[in-house]
Amino acid sequence: MKSVVVRSVSKLWGEARAVDDVSFEVEQGTLAVLLGPSGCGKSTTLRMIAGLDEPTSGSIEIAGKDVSGLTGSSRGVAMVFQSYALFPHLTVADNITFGLSVRGTPKPEMAARLDKVAALLGLEPLLRRKPSQLSGGQQQRVALGRALIAEAPVCLLDEPLSNLDAQLRQELRHEIRALQQRLGVTMVYVTHDQTEAMSMADRIILMRGGKIEQNGTPADLYERPANIFTARFIGGAPMSFLDLDDGAGGAVIAGTSSPPLFAGPGKGRVLGLRPEDIAVDDAHKSGLLHATVTGVEYLGAEALVTCALGDRSILARTRGAAAPAIGAQVSLSWHPSAAHVFDAASGKRLTIDSHAATPTPRLHTLHYQGSINA
Amino acid sequence: MKSFGMKHFARLTAAATLAATFIGGSVASATEITFYYPIAVGGPITKIIDDYVAEFSKGRPDITVKPVYTGSYQDSIVKAMTAAKAGNAPDMAVLLSTDMYSLIDDDLIEPVETLATSAEDKAWLKSFYPAFMENSQSGGHTWGVPFQRSTIVQYWNKDMFKAAGLDPEKAPGTWDEMVSFGKKLTKKDASGNVTQWGVEIPSSGFPYWLFQALTTQNGAILANPEGTKVAYNDPKVVEAAQFFADLSLKHEVMPKGIIEWGTTPKDFFEGKTAVMWTTTGNLTNVKANAKFAFGVAAMPKKARGGSPTGGGNIYIFKSKDKAKQAAALAFARFLTTPEKAANWGIATGYVAVRPDAWETDAMKKYAAGFQPAIIARDQLKEAVAELSTHDNQRVTKALNDALQAVLTNAKPAKVALDEAQAEATRILKPYQK
Amino acid sequence: MQAKRTTKLNIHVQGWLLALPAVILLASFTHIPAVVTVIDSFYSTPRGRVPSVFIGLDQYQAMLADPIFWRAFNNNLLYAVVTVPVAIALALGMALWVNGRIKGRTALRLAFFTPTILPMVAAANIWLFFYTSDYGLLNQIIRAFGFANVNWLGDPATALWSLMAVTIWKEAGFFMIFFLAALQQVPPDLYEAARMENAGRFTVFRRITWPLVMPTTLFVAINALINAFRIVDQVIAMTGGGPNNASTLLLFYIYQVAFSFWDSAYAAALSTVLLLVLGSVALAQFYLLDRKIHYR
Repeated sequence: MKSVVVRSVSKLWGEARAVDDVSFEVEQGTLAVLLGPSGCGKSTTLRMIAGLDEPTSGSIEIAGKDVSGLTGSSRGVAMVFQSYALFPHLTVADNITFGLSVRGTPKPEMAARLDKVAALLGLEPLLRRKPSQLSGGQQQRVALGRALIAEAPVCLLDEPLSNLDAQLRQELRHEIRALQQRLGVTMVYVTHDQTEAMSMADRIILMRGGKIEQNGTPADLYERPANIFTARFIGGAPMSFLDLDDGAGGAVIAGTSSPPLFAGPGKGRVLGLRPEDIAVDDAHKSGLLHATVTGVEYLGAEALVTCALGDRSILARTRGAAAPAIGAQVSLSWHPSAAHVFDAASGKRLTIDSHAATPTPRLHTLHYQGSINA
Repeated sequence: MKSFGMKHFARLTAAATLAATFIGGSVASATEITFYYPIAVGGPITKIIDDYVAEFSKGRPDITVKPVYTGSYQDSIVKAMTAAKAGNAPDMAVLLSTDMYSLIDDDLIEPVETLATSAEDKAWLKSFYPAFMENSQSGGHTWGVPFQRSTIVQYWNKDMFKAAGLDPEKAPGTWDEMVSFGKKLTKKDASGNVTQWGVEIPSSGFPYWLFQALTTQNGAILANPEGTKVAYNDPKVVEAAQFFADLSLKHEVMPKGIIEWGTTPKDFFEGKTAVMWTTTGNLTNVKANAKFAFGVAAMPKKARGGSPTGGGNIYIFKSKDKAKQAAALAFARFLTTPEKAANWGIATGYVAVRPDAWETDAMKKYAAGFQPAIIARDQLKEAVAELSTHDNQRVTKALNDALQAVLTNAKPAKVALDEAQAEATRILKPYQK
Repeated sequence: MQAKRTTKLNIHVQGWLLALPAVILLASFTHIPAVVTVIDSFYSTPRGRVPSVFIGLDQYQAMLADPIFWRAFNNNLLYAVVTVPVAIALALGMALWVNGRIKGRTALRLAFFTPTILPMVAAANIWLFFYTSDYGLLNQIIRAFGFANVNWLGDPATALWSLMAVTIWKEAGFFMIFFLAALQQVPPDLYEAARMENAGRFTVFRRITWPLVMPTTLFVAINALINAFRIVDQVIAMTGGGPNNASTLLLFYIYQVAFSFWDSAYAAALSTVLLLVLGSVALAQFYLLDRKIHYR
């Protein structure tokens, strides 16, 4: 069952299109992340789902009902604000029960629900405190508690972790995800952090310039990025992009003596490779390409190796201990299925039958010794 | 007389200070005296005073007069008193004639006759209208020299009198006429609101002064010449207060409640009232602003006619420096020669303070062209001293409060005045030795 | 050890030296006169050659028996009780209005603030003509609605209230600025959080806005209260305390006793009472502001 349906929604601020004809659906009990760089329209979209902003056109349905004209609780949504928006003059308990008291919930019921939420979030010892006496993480929990106590079917979170330090962010990420799954609540979660999105989401809706770039599972976005933007945005270390050219036996990497990668034209196409998909070997080993190491970023368990390929560079990931030295000649190789090919003009993904190409069969017997490709 | 224009304050003060500095600097060896004066009427008073000072110093280069403009009468007494208490009293000052007892009680002023000892001086002291001297003398001494003095007169709108079928040349001559004329002059609109009143007698601030005209006409005297006893609850005074209140409450020819002193002339100009009672000092103001034919008349009669005098006297302050006191006396005499008295009266609208001033050519010419000036002078025959006692402002406040209570119908006249009498008697007790 | 103590002493001395100019100014123009005033109130007023003598509490006994003092005191209490809440309510109302997204709000803010920049005497003179009977603006308006003329300043029933209106008119605009600042300190998120709960306008005001501007309200209230006891200009300019003391306020009465009656000792006793009133208000301010409303 669809919990949230966004249908052709646009939002104009004067002439500017903050959100431009956006449609998506969120299944009940799942966590959808609205992901994108700042100004992409994700927060505006969230605010329209919350009812804080009215769409200029299009409609929004919550639990199968058109909710235009309703706000927040009356359309069955609760929200956690980026700033937490806790009332500084109220205690933690009063903050959490604010909505219930506004709606005239009977006192005993209010107390019971408060106890439940406090227990859920570990807030029992803090209930009598004022927000100013809490740490950032505690405030975040209170904000979450205020959203959850309403038991609204949909909970919206606007960059809820952006004000916290890295360690706390990771902890709360797991906690929120666990809560969501335990309570079976539908969450729409806005963030600009792809790690957060990848680790939490059932579905990621990646936005740019008010439009959806790709809507799919984290694996979809990682494995089959629909366009260069998605490919670039998703993944830990950035994907390398190499222009292709027409070669004798098929598409080759422009400006190199690489073997043909696949049959067909190469001009006007771009090859995308994730660092973790590239195997780095000694130069004498036969790879697809030969390159020179120009930079090594050592990260402990792994290292990011920048290799010069003619006048371009390509990023590869190796085991930290196995990182080559700067200046070393290396050979690079990858599995054909790891190659993402895009149309250079539109940025759109092209489907290439890699087996029809002419990669060396040896590729399958590569040693992968320098690779940590999972 | 008792209102004053605040707007010129800063400029005038600056001018006076500048002038004083200049004069003071140029004749260093001369006897220097400080002269405080207030401004309570319109006109270029500061310039007139400066001209007098310049003229005086030509005749007496051995004396330097430093004129200091000190604001309203109230501001001036505050400045003089505080300066005196700080040991820095002015040598002479123009202050209200009714401030006399306060100045005596604080031992600040010198009896003039102790300084004016020559035959010429003595003749000068006898040259003023007796009505003005009443507020200058106490306990056998003369404490002040009449300078800018006034009385109350009635101004009437001749056009309105004509419209109401009255003789436009005849002001109300009696209390009865005040009521009967007033009833003809009071007009109401369709909804019963009064659009034009018969008469306005101001009652804000210092209602005792205008009220004293009524008590005088009713044959009562409010205070003894020693300033130690008042007769606030004399039946004639009660009757006068009752009449005052009846004008609005019973006869409905005068607005109810307190009538503001400051806006009464405007009411007259705007045609809101046909008759107003105010000081002769407003003559010049009315002449300039009334856009209709108006007349000025002496007060109406009951048992008799009459008005209290008002305005300011010249006081000479105590000083160990006899030269300064002599210089102050010389300047006081200069300011009150027949010619100067006439000139001052013409320039300001005050009543020239001595009979021979009216014999000067300038005054004769002025009076011939402006009949109202004569009215004010002639009323002096019937004028009485303005109410003035020891602890004057407190004693008159008791009367003011009582009058306002009567006029606003808060208390019956007898009750209010009995209370005022008790209060005044209590205040005056220490002085009745 | 010795050296350390000396350094410490030096720091104290330096501190006091730095504060000295301010201390001298404050002491000579505020504290010493206040103390002298209190002392003077136990002596009689010197008159001419009669020096002042110690009379203990006689002035205070006279005060208790002085109906004008009680009138002024009660008038002043009423003045405070009426003008403070009304000015605050108006100020907050105006601030809420001009804080919203309305057209021409800058002009509106300026309009509300204008009375504040007028000197009291100028304001009083403007109102004097509003209140004038017959042709005053106020009477012209109420006549247009068919009501009878009111002699606003000349009727004991309306004089004090007319003065209060001037004070409220003048203070509300000033206090509005404080409330405006306070309102702009409230994060918009809080209002959105309340919107999410579908809280009505009144609930939002009562549960969020009002408590959040409470420190400002208290600050403004204390200042308004102190102002209410310091009003003298418009009494002098508009009514002279009349009719029959109906609009006499404490400070005006003190002025009258000191500079019309020249009874400086009695004026000192009255000033001492005013000093006590203002002092207790100031103490309440410190106590309340520091203790009660400190959650930020």
